[in-house]
Amino acid sequence: MDKRYNFTNRPRAALSRPTVARNVMSRPTVARNVMSRPTVARNVIFTLTIILFLVVILLPIYYIFLTAFAPGEKLFTKPLTYLPQSLAIERFRDIFSALPIARYMFNSSMLATISTVLALTVSLLAAYAIARLQFPGANLVMIGLLASSMLPGTATVIPLFQMFQQLKLMDTLHGLLILYGSALLPITTWVLVSFLRQVPEEIEDAAKVDGASLFPLLWRIVLPVIRPGVATMFLINFIVGWNEFFTPLIFARGAGAKVITMALSEAQVIGASSEFEVSWGNMSAVAILATIPVFILTLIFQRQIVEGITSGVFK
Amino acid sequence: MFSRHNLSTRRILLAYLLVTPVVLWRLLTSVYPFLRTFYISFFDHSPVRRTFEFVGLDNYMALTRDANVDATLSFTVFFTTTSVALQVVLGLAIAELLNQRFRLRNLTRAVNLLPWAMAPIVIATAARWIFHQDFGLVNDIIWRLSGERPLWLINITSARFAVTLTDVWKNTAFLAVIFLSGLQGIPLELYEAAKIDGADGARSYWYITLPLLMPLIISMIIFTAIFRVLSFEIVYALTNGGPGTATSLLSYLVYLEGFRVLNFGYASAIAMLLFFIVLVVGLLGYGLLRRAWERL
Repeated sequence: MDKRYNFTNRPRAALSRPTVARNVMSRPTVARNVMSRPTVARNVIFTLTIILFLVVILLPIYYIFLTAFAPGEKLFTKPLTYLPQSLAIERFRDIFSALPIARYMFNSSMLATISTVLALTVSLLAAYAIARLQFPGANLVMIGLLASSMLPGTATVIPLFQMFQQLKLMDTLHGLLILYGSALLPITTWVLVSFLRQVPEEIEDAAKVDGASLFPLLWRIVLPVIRPGVATMFLINFIVGWNEFFTPLIFARGAGAKVITMALSEAQVIGASSEFEVSWGNMSAVAILATIPVFILTLIFQRQIVEGITSGVFK
Repeated sequence: MFSRHNLSTRRILLAYLLVTPVVLWRLLTSVYPFLRTFYISFFDHSPVRRTFEFVGLDNYMALTRDANVDATLSFTVFFTTTSVALQVVLGLAIAELLNQRFRLRNLTRAVNLLPWAMAPIVIATAARWIFHQDFGLVNDIIWRLSGERPLWLINITSARFAVTLTDVWKNTAFLAVIFLSGLQGIPLELYEAAKIDGADGARSYWYITLPLLMPLIISMIIFTAIFRVLSFEIVYALTNGGPGTATSLLSYLVYLEGFRVLNFGYASAIAMLLFFIVLVVGLLGYGLLRRAWERL
């Protein structure tokens, strides 16, 4: 246990080192203006590797865009044409007219947002108790949360399905919120505890002397201090919630509570004459709608997301 | 004295009050359903046949005779080992790459995160198109290079690799991000000292970077392995577990048995097998991790 804490503290301390110091390590050993031949070769190989890496990541994504915007039969050519031929939006028109796509996207964003807010709220309460109020069983709660997050979703789904039927929670957004929120709790609590432990308690003591009661204290003093942690977990939890598929597959069978990830398979069969005919164009159009929001978030908040991912592991 | 005791009792009560929502929420939606699954696994329970009959270990005995379970376990082993190995090696390489200084580094780091951010179901569904025999991206590239068009999803071995490669494409970014911050946490003095001793890049990687990262690598292997065993979307959408049962995973089998065949008792037994495997992987990994710490 002690050793583990040693390690978990080390990278964090080093992470906060100024950026300049960190980069010394990766600075080329030979000055740029006196490049010797091996260095030129190294640079070329390095650049090619970066390009290969970018191509492997971006080409499949680009291909899905190409598919979604390719008009009708233009899709099926051998060999493939990689330049966009046109910007045909007919597939988007098709899927919007055949499926309640707007409703699905509304449901996805509602579920992702509200479950995130709920999970952050109750996790913050628990994290405050664990990090600040020494009470017997605090460790047990932490370990219990971690252990419960290891229980496979498939090992809880059948009883939950029966509970949801009895409680009339099937096909409802509030039913799904219970499950979406539940999945977020363990990691959110863990990360918030680690953020709280990094913040000196004295700030709160001053407020306590002034007689601030718990909720104003949390809202006005604690929350602003750990805002980076909360913002990070908000982003990651939103992405996780938006991408959810297994839970709605089981618990949302009516259109009212369905989400955008479920439209992928529905879009494939729009206008299909047989069960084996698949509309890859329609599928790609839905894939784009389901992906654009998380791409925008990722590209804007890259730093915060990385911070969140690593704080879940290191802290 | 009395008031102090009073204060600490109040503090403890407040603490319990604050953790109650989280604990209760998890108990009701995770712990209780899990225990209930364990209970149901001893019953012949089907909502279609309207049965709920205690059958002892029958469901577990049936597991040992089920050819689908055999096929699923063998693919689980292939998928987990291959995918984890590829992800760790590529993750370390990408971390090293993203740790260098170059123009557009921030953009490259953001691009690295894109597969992580995409929904597994989107990637799995799109991968069916990417691996399409005639018009897929992968076969187009292979055809341009070799004139061949392999049957990705029809052939057993290649279907297994298609699933694995798709999984690696999506999840390596996560490991790369973690390893990158591990790399950034290694004190630079160590490398400077090694350079004075005449160690080149490769050697200082082997003797300094890898040993220091080892505990992190091992814990990520455990973590990644557990999530590979639990995977669902990737085979649900990419292969439907096929051809035949060649790419079936336990979560997918639970889904089929529970929500297509509606055989809750037997599906629960499969779910318990899944839990048992996750537990074993977790405990084995924890043992390995402790040994790695002792060596450090």
